[in-house]
Amino acid sequence: MMIFYLHTLFAIFGIALVGGVLGLDRTAAGQFMISQPIVAGPLIGWMLGDTTAGLVIGAVLELIWVLDMPVGTFVPSDSTVGAVSATAIAAIGGGGHATPDLIGFSVLLTTAMVPVTMAVDGIVRKRNSRLADRAASAPGEDAEKKLSRAHLTGLAVFFLKSFVLYLVFVPAGLFAVSLFARFPGKAHIALALFVKLLPLLGAALIVRKLSIRNLDRFFLAGFVVAALLTLMFPLHPLIIILFVITAGYLATKESAFRQIG
Amino acid sequence: MRRTNVNDNQRAIRTLDLLKVFLRSFLIQASWSYDRMQSLGFAYAIQPVLRRLYPDREEYRSRLDLHMEYFNTQPYLAAFILGATARMELERASGRNRDADISGLKSALMAPLGALGDSFFWGALTPLAAVIAVAVLMTGAWWAPLLFLVLYNSWHVGLRAGVFVWGYQSAGDAVALMARYSFTKMARLFKAVSLAVIGGTLGMASNWRPELKLTVFPPGFVNVAAGLVITLVLVVVLRKGGSPVKLMLGLAGICLALAYTGVG
Repeated sequence: MMIFYLHTLFAIFGIALVGGVLGLDRTAAGQFMISQPIVAGPLIGWMLGDTTAGLVIGAVLELIWVLDMPVGTFVPSDSTVGAVSATAIAAIGGGGHATPDLIGFSVLLTTAMVPVTMAVDGIVRKRNSRLADRAASAPGEDAEKKLSRAHLTGLAVFFLKSFVLYLVFVPAGLFAVSLFARFPGKAHIALALFVKLLPLLGAALIVRKLSIRNLDRFFLAGFVVAALLTLMFPLHPLIIILFVITAGYLATKESAFRQIG
Repeated sequence: MRRTNVNDNQRAIRTLDLLKVFLRSFLIQASWSYDRMQSLGFAYAIQPVLRRLYPDREEYRSRLDLHMEYFNTQPYLAAFILGATARMELERASGRNRDADISGLKSALMAPLGALGDSFFWGALTPLAAVIAVAVLMTGAWWAPLLFLVLYNSWHVGLRAGVFVWGYQSAGDAVALMARYSFTKMARLFKAVSLAVIGGTLGMASNWRPELKLTVFPPGFVNVAAGLVITLVLVVVLRKGGSPVKLMLGLAGICLALAYTGVG
């Protein structure tokens, strides 16, 4: 089986290391957003020789999880573990050329892992209370050193959490991929279609969370401008995106003007 | 090293100390826990200033203990409170304001700044950078992830540094902060543009990369309209209480049913 090849084991270990570092960016260090699926997916895909799988997985998971926010004590689903695991499973399982059905299967597998990642995250954050106790009880001259050591131990704990999750999820996913190859053809067709519908689900989630209306006027304005320009003029897509951003900006100005009036 | 503040007692904070506090603020959540949240992180970040201001070990330790009290706010705007705390500690150590209520300042600022920061950074800036990058990526550009990082971090790092300096200069004047950075107004604008871009992304469905193009529908207007209709149906379902995980699993089930009925 594929997971027992030496180069596959090295790849899994490398992904666990890189994924562990990327995971620190989620909450523990920096938060420069290198942990977001749109960055983590393509990076892992590029490392494993399948950038396309990483870009596709990164884009759909970004849309789906971007508004799952860490507000107050709420710890959101670990979209980094999802993006990194799905990309690694698709890229290694597909031998560097993952097909849409395999990408769909990998995304579905990591979706099923979401409750596990949330539970593990919860356990780690509960246990982190001990770090504060260790620093608080520091006597005399060692206060500063003990505090720093206790605090930075948190980084190691968060790294290890992701590292271990990858070492479990990626091999388990690759084993599932070997079973997926024996699934009937209809299941492969279904998962290829599933991937194509995911951006629509992501768009729906964004509309749902950013607007109180089902048919938001900014959303509709963007849609109409882009659809008309795409269907009627042979413009470069990037120019259309600039038009849409301008349309959205002008619509807010017009809306503010009407409120004043 | 240049001294930023010199006072009668020669207690001063150096620019390098402030720089260290700012850099440490990037690790404020390294040991985040449910009960203590960022308390350890705050004490860790403010250490360089306390060390400079309190040469007496016992006093230094008591100040450090004080900063290990409960603390939690939006991690980027924590830089504002750190800047303000550094300034208040300077005032206290130099004798200009021995009774400075630093704990009160932290308690008063952390909740409103938490709400403001969550709404701006997580609820407006992140989705805006993400939808623009995804829109670009859908058209086939490989550099979309880099665009996302540049768009996001030019705001993130710039604002984080700006509020830290402002917190120090204003000694924690949150009203002046709101006047200087109109977060609420910017959040409203960013959310509206995000919605326009996500609508625009659907409007450009015929330009999407081949792996994601909806090939079950004929190209052109029908394809674009079908994408819009499916999205709006999903919005209605989500409003009725569906979670992303449940919806993804449900969508996979529907795709399976469609495949077995010959669609797809």
